[in-house]
Amino acid sequence: MDHGRYAALFLSESREHIGACNQHLGLLERDPGSQEAVHALFRAMHTIKGMAAMMGYAHVTELAHRSENLLDLVRAGTVTADVALIRLLTEAVDELDRGIEEAATGHDQALDFSYVLERLDTLVGPESTGASPQAPGPASAPEPAPRRPRGDRSRPVRVTVRPGVMMPGARAALALNQASGLGEVTDVTPGAQEFQQEGFDGAFSFWIETDRADEVLEEAIRSVGDIDSVTIGDAARSQGPAAGGDAVQRAHNTIRVDLRRLDALMSHVGELVVARNRLVELAAGYAGTELEEVSGRINRLVNEVQAEVIATRMTPVWQVFDRFPRAVRDLARELGKQVSLTIEGGDIEVDRSLLDEIGDPILHLLRNAVDHGIEPGADRLQAGKPEEGRLVIRCSRERDSIVVIVEDDGRGIDRDVVLAKARETGVVDDEVEELTDALLLQVLGRSGFSTATKVTSVSGRGVGIDVVLTKIRALGGSAEIQSQVGRGTTFILRLPLTLVIFRALLARVCDERYVVPMAFVAETVEYNKATRAEVHGRDSLVLRDEVLATTDLRDIVGLDGADRSMRRPCVILEVGNRRSALLVDALIGQQEVVVEQFDPPSGMPRWVSGATILADGTPALILDAAALV
Amino acid sequence: MTNVAVERVLVFEVGDLVCAVPAGVTREVISPVAITRLPGVSDVVDGLINIRGTLLTVIDGHRLLGRPANPDHEGAIVVLEVFDRVCGLRVGRLVDLVAVPADAVDGRDTLPGVDPGIVKAVGRHQDSPFVLLDLEELLRPVMGT
Amino acid sequence: MSHTVLVCDDAIFMRTMISDILTSAGFEVIGEAETGVQAVEKYQQLKPDLVTMDIVMPDMGGIDAVREICQGDPEAKVLMCSAMGQQALVVEAIQAGAKDFVVKPFQPSRVLEAVQRVLG
Repeated sequence: MDHGRYAALFLSESREHIGACNQHLGLLERDPGSQEAVHALFRAMHTIKGMAAMMGYAHVTELAHRSENLLDLVRAGTVTADVALIRLLTEAVDELDRGIEEAATGHDQALDFSYVLERLDTLVGPESTGASPQAPGPASAPEPAPRRPRGDRSRPVRVTVRPGVMMPGARAALALNQASGLGEVTDVTPGAQEFQQEGFDGAFSFWIETDRADEVLEEAIRSVGDIDSVTIGDAARSQGPAAGGDAVQRAHNTIRVDLRRLDALMSHVGELVVARNRLVELAAGYAGTELEEVSGRINRLVNEVQAEVIATRMTPVWQVFDRFPRAVRDLARELGKQVSLTIEGGDIEVDRSLLDEIGDPILHLLRNAVDHGIEPGADRLQAGKPEEGRLVIRCSRERDSIVVIVEDDGRGIDRDVVLAKARETGVVDDEVEELTDALLLQVLGRSGFSTATKVTSVSGRGVGIDVVLTKIRALGGSAEIQSQVGRGTTFILRLPLTLVIFRALLARVCDERYVVPMAFVAETVEYNKATRAEVHGRDSLVLRDEVLATTDLRDIVGLDGADRSMRRPCVILEVGNRRSALLVDALIGQQEVVVEQFDPPSGMPRWVSGATILADGTPALILDAAALV
Repeated sequence: MTNVAVERVLVFEVGDLVCAVPAGVTREVISPVAITRLPGVSDVVDGLINIRGTLLTVIDGHRLLGRPANPDHEGAIVVLEVFDRVCGLRVGRLVDLVAVPADAVDGRDTLPGVDPGIVKAVGRHQDSPFVLLDLEELLRPVMGT
Repeated sequence: MSHTVLVCDDAIFMRTMISDILTSAGFEVIGEAETGVQAVEKYQQLKPDLVTMDIVMPDMGGIDAVREICQGDPEAKVLMCSAMGQQALVVEAIQAGAKDFVVKPFQPSRVLEAVQRVLG
């Protein structure tokens, strides 16, 4: 390119536009509502931007671009042309005037517009892409193509635009036009409107009914250029046209965000939820007023923001669990054992902060299993087991919680050894004859118990289980253990999907309120003469064909048991396959609850998993359902 | 005049006992607020309070020190930070924040009727003695992990 | 015979640059337009093989011009010249009948590739 000639052209034409800008700024000052002036300013900035970009004047381009964005907002009526804005624009035009001269003489790199850019940012937002106002809102997930019957000539087609190209949506629109020229195109996913969105990544699918061969169709689509892949027919369907597109979209259509920002955001949302709860409670006293209306609206919005923020933080567990197989292999090799680790359900998603927290405890359980659970190869062969030990992590969703099962096929825990040790140290009374799974868990969970080294290698239970269990409980989760000598040990960990906010049921006993996480509430029923029964001397509740032992929350929290009505609300708790009935005095309702950190006194009862602040500002304890069933 | 080190302490009354804690471990002092009982823990623990959106375990100074509360005292909660843990100590009433010259604080000693185990030192404020509480000793059993 | 081109842009700078790129590749620039209205008039008058169209122009923008041109001649071959951040408008132009697009700042090769595709 003849750079000198273009530079001269650039300079003279930009000067003209700067002149036009100044003229229209004057007009805007006299008549701030003048659309004509705003449009003219917008066009001038746009033209300068385009020219400067072609010349490679990055700083001038940037300033013109940001000014154009601001004018676009004024044009759309989002921002009002007030005195301050006109002054800022005037300043931007002056800077641009200076910049054009400098750039044309080869000094664009030395330009610094940060002062005026900063202030433009406060009005436009630093990340603005200058998207036209016709394309508002974020891209929504593509809807799956309906599976209605189609003619024989009908085929699904999946197309992805080469990543990184400019305007993938426009490229996709071209491809779609080409396809439309060959047959009837339906079920475009995501909808063609999505193509206009700046966030669209160029992955889409559609159905086409055409006589033309697949090859012809593919060639036509590829003819628009910058097409990465075209999949037609069963191959596209087996990936699922929409689902495939969605997956690709997720892979490309992302930005990196500092985790601390997400944490801060989550923490603010937590506070927002608490404040919202308070607002809704206060507004309830003003039924029919505007306050109630506004509070209802804020309530809905906070719910949406919360759901979005939590969704943003959701991360598949494999991101942390993927390092486990290596760790297991290394440790096994070191110990001269053969151990394989399988991870099932790695796609299950949990809150990022939780994921960071559970990695270490789970790794600890795995190490224990390799070290103490899995026998040496020779012992295994002798016991009739495969030489290679098997470890499995199984992840699954269970209502609002995630279940992580850590299973080994090793020697299992020798209860006699553990029981003897427990008696010796006074952890259990002498009359305890047998360690049930629940009791075993309690014993192992005792601080310091399992760190005693003497029984470590023979008991097959490893060290530091108490640390693991404490951690899981601190995260609002629960743990179970199942162990059979010679067959292996299984830990079942249940954790909330997010650490911070969850839905809970508020229950009252006497004048105290307690919080029951909805993750563990199967249903609520009434306990009365008709539903109560005494089974094996235990007060029970008959629910359909099931008999559930009852627990009175008053007894748990140590409140006076007198004056117990025969008709009481009852919460059916469910933890895994264990269920029980919790009697309370009243159910107050459901609420979003934010777990608050605090320094607890020593000896907090097992049935407390944490505490929160209720809508009226009062602290309340969160019940640990696992300890109550 | 010799240069004498000075320690700043917060002096308060718990029942009939005048005691103090180092100002350095005192975060703030607040008026009594609604408290939520914590079942199952030591009875020296009053419960949980909410101060500006943060939960705080409150310990009853009267039970902790074995001093009956004075009904004329309006009560105050001294927020303390000891061994990396934060908790509130409910006291009868505040007396003063004073700078005590180190030579006005006797070595490990005690006053009649006070368990020497909880006393770090005895000081004087306006001619009346006070005990500088050994918070470590007092709170470790209640707030320790 | 070389292909004929109508270059539409409100900036002389851009028209010059695009004309230079196309001319040096053997195309014949037979007309220029500074506004959308002019673009439509000159298209009907000159019947060029190819049109390059800026989006933001005074007196009818590029998108409306594409729509009018393509309504009059469904075979019209229009190449959009857009700036960054205008994807929504480019998609609209394509739906109105534009055959391809380039994004400023562009390399001459990008323009020629797009032109080749449009002319088949």
